[in-house]
Amino acid sequence: MTTYTLCVFTENSIGLLNKITIIFTRRRINIESLTVSETERKGVSRFTIVIKHPKREEVEKLVRQIRKIVEVLSVFGYLNQDIVYNEIALFKIATPLGGKPIDIDAINSIYKAWVVYWELDYVVIQKTGTEEEIFEFFKYLKPHGIIEFVRSGRVAVGKTHRGLVEFLPEDQEWEYYL
Amino acid sequence: MSKELEVMDMAKESTSEKKVLTGGQALMECFLAEGVETIFGYPGGAIMPIYDGLYDYTDRLNHVLVRHEQGAAHAAEGFARASGRVGVCMATSGPGATNLVTGLADAIIDCTPIVAITGQVASHLLGTDAFQETDVIGITAPICKWNYQVTNADEIPEILSKAFFIAKAGKPGPVLVDITKDAQQGLMTKPFEYKKTTYLPGYHPRVTPKHDQIERAVELINNAKRPYVLFGHGVLISQAMQEFKEFIEKTDIPCASTLLGISALPIDHPNYMGWLGMHGMYAPNVMTDQCDVLIAIGMRFDDRVTGDASLFAKQAKIVHIEIDPAEIDKIKKAEAPVVGDVKEALKLMLPLVKSNDYTAWKNEFRKLEPREKEFVTDRDFKFEGQIKMAEVVKMVSDKTKGEACIVVDVGQHQMVSARYYEFKKCHSYIASGGLGTMGFAIPASLGAKMGAPDRQVIAFIGDGCFQMTIQELGTISQTGQEVKLIILNNNYLGMVRQWQQLFFEKRYSFVELHNPDFIMVAKGFGIEGKKVSERANLNDAIDEMLNHKGSYVLEVVVEKEENVFPMVPAGKSVSDIRLH
Repeated sequence: MTTYTLCVFTENSIGLLNKITIIFTRRRINIESLTVSETERKGVSRFTIVIKHPKREEVEKLVRQIRKIVEVLSVFGYLNQDIVYNEIALFKIATPLGGKPIDIDAINSIYKAWVVYWELDYVVIQKTGTEEEIFEFFKYLKPHGIIEFVRSGRVAVGKTHRGLVEFLPEDQEWEYYL
Repeated sequence: MSKELEVMDMAKESTSEKKVLTGGQALMECFLAEGVETIFGYPGGAIMPIYDGLYDYTDRLNHVLVRHEQGAAHAAEGFARASGRVGVCMATSGPGATNLVTGLADAIIDCTPIVAITGQVASHLLGTDAFQETDVIGITAPICKWNYQVTNADEIPEILSKAFFIAKAGKPGPVLVDITKDAQQGLMTKPFEYKKTTYLPGYHPRVTPKHDQIERAVELINNAKRPYVLFGHGVLISQAMQEFKEFIEKTDIPCASTLLGISALPIDHPNYMGWLGMHGMYAPNVMTDQCDVLIAIGMRFDDRVTGDASLFAKQAKIVHIEIDPAEIDKIKKAEAPVVGDVKEALKLMLPLVKSNDYTAWKNEFRKLEPREKEFVTDRDFKFEGQIKMAEVVKMVSDKTKGEACIVVDVGQHQMVSARYYEFKKCHSYIASGGLGTMGFAIPASLGAKMGAPDRQVIAFIGDGCFQMTIQELGTISQTGQEVKLIILNNNYLGMVRQWQQLFFEKRYSFVELHNPDFIMVAKGFGIEGKKVSERANLNDAIDEMLNHKGSYVLEVVVEKEENVFPMVPAGKSVSDIRLH
């Protein structure tokens, strides 16, 4: 199984998520994670979809089929080595009176994670990193009692000099947020 | 003021001051702007404002009231396939929309351009399980090239313009526009203006192929020793029949068509070897194992063509001319893919390909023909026992000089019609290929007749298929259109029965039909008809049908347990083809 990251640029319209995921359903490919948000161009959304698949050619076929959707502007498929990618995770950790103290210094310096909120009996720690880094941190925190844990989908940029939006069709006047 | 002046004044008023239109009226204006003349539809609660708009346009738009929305979709398909234009159908929300689904699925797999309009509950009721509300956008997303829900009358011109563009551009397909009742009823806030769409940022299919792809393809073709062309529906869709003929004549390459490619080249063309596929002809099938370069033009290697795709033409290098990039390498890896419109690709290739003489290679195909004749054709024309389907098709073919537009349903009769009708004209074999939709032929034949009014339209239909959309006889009768429907009645679901005989030890599980009196049913709908079971009466009956003014149902009782051969068993290699 190889991990592939697909970056799908689309017009920002209702029902598009469904039209894209239908193609995964038809080809019986499971989506490991999915992140959608608007890009620096107004009205253009960016989907970052992570899948695992044993056959590269099948992933290429999937990419070509996603491209067929009218509102899809462009699709790029990447292996992990071609991209810089990260996820974000939030951990809610119990801090009861008399409990094992949390080593904030170690959390900050070794794990590059930060306390973003606290109450008397719990803290919320935010950690960004790859899936592996987040799970390593998860293991470290586990003895403290994790009340709640959530992990986002992957976000990724290509290891190229140019931004991907530059590859989108140019004949339309785009409005930029930047 | 005289009456004439008054009329003139009114006319002036209506042109100088742009009238504010309702959504329903705007839709009609969109149809006119797109050159639509015929609409197949069925009214209902959530589409009433559109039908009210239509009421004032009946002098310019011909609406055909079908008897079931599935009929509207298939009629629109038949219209599109015979005319090369976009077919239009309309239905109300909920059940009206879901009844269109089969037709939309049929249209997408056979690349048929249709625009379907569905009514929808008012926008404030969306998502509330309102009366006749269904998520038609969700339901049709996988079977439409594009769909969109309009909730505001102002959106209608732009969305319809996009819809017609998408339906027709590139690889054609069905588009559904769902319009909420308030958008149909509401007034536009701006004057109606219609701009034809010619480009979309997310959809701009390549028409002219890349130069290097053409060069690579030409190199393979020119260096081939035993090249073989397989052509499909794409040749007809891109209207490339002339270019294709020139290409074949210049290169002298033997060619065969897919089922839907039939009639793109006249069947008596010296380079035409027949059609291939599961029930296709012997030589065209087995010779896929002999060629060194396979040139696939406007076809997509459907499993009914390839059998086991991993074994199909595995010795050959493949040139694949196709407008949809997603089809390249989908089933068969292409050494030389050419992405673009077939017509444009052939135009570019024509001056570059070498003139050749492949007489010896073509003769290898011809050498196989006696085998097929002995085992298949001669058996089909023994003229013993009950009438065989083949006799009927051949007789109709002879009497119409191969010039009729043939619409078929799905099953044995579909294959027999493809085998024995001798097509001389293009766009003459209209069948549900990819989806295999029983019930296609009655509505599609009406659509075909309306799309090509100058042509004689004849449908071959099985007794099972006939009963799937039998109600559309009422539509045919009401329009007064002239279509000839021939029921090849074997009292069985023949193709399923054939499979049960060959692969399920003759365990005939629910394939025998207790049929109605078809002629009495036809007459009940106001359509003349006749039943024939004796060979001696067949000739006169066909003459009577062809000479009859108006639609006609001819029921021919044929041999009950007739099998269609050749046959490549499902999932097997074409070399496993059976002749008996």
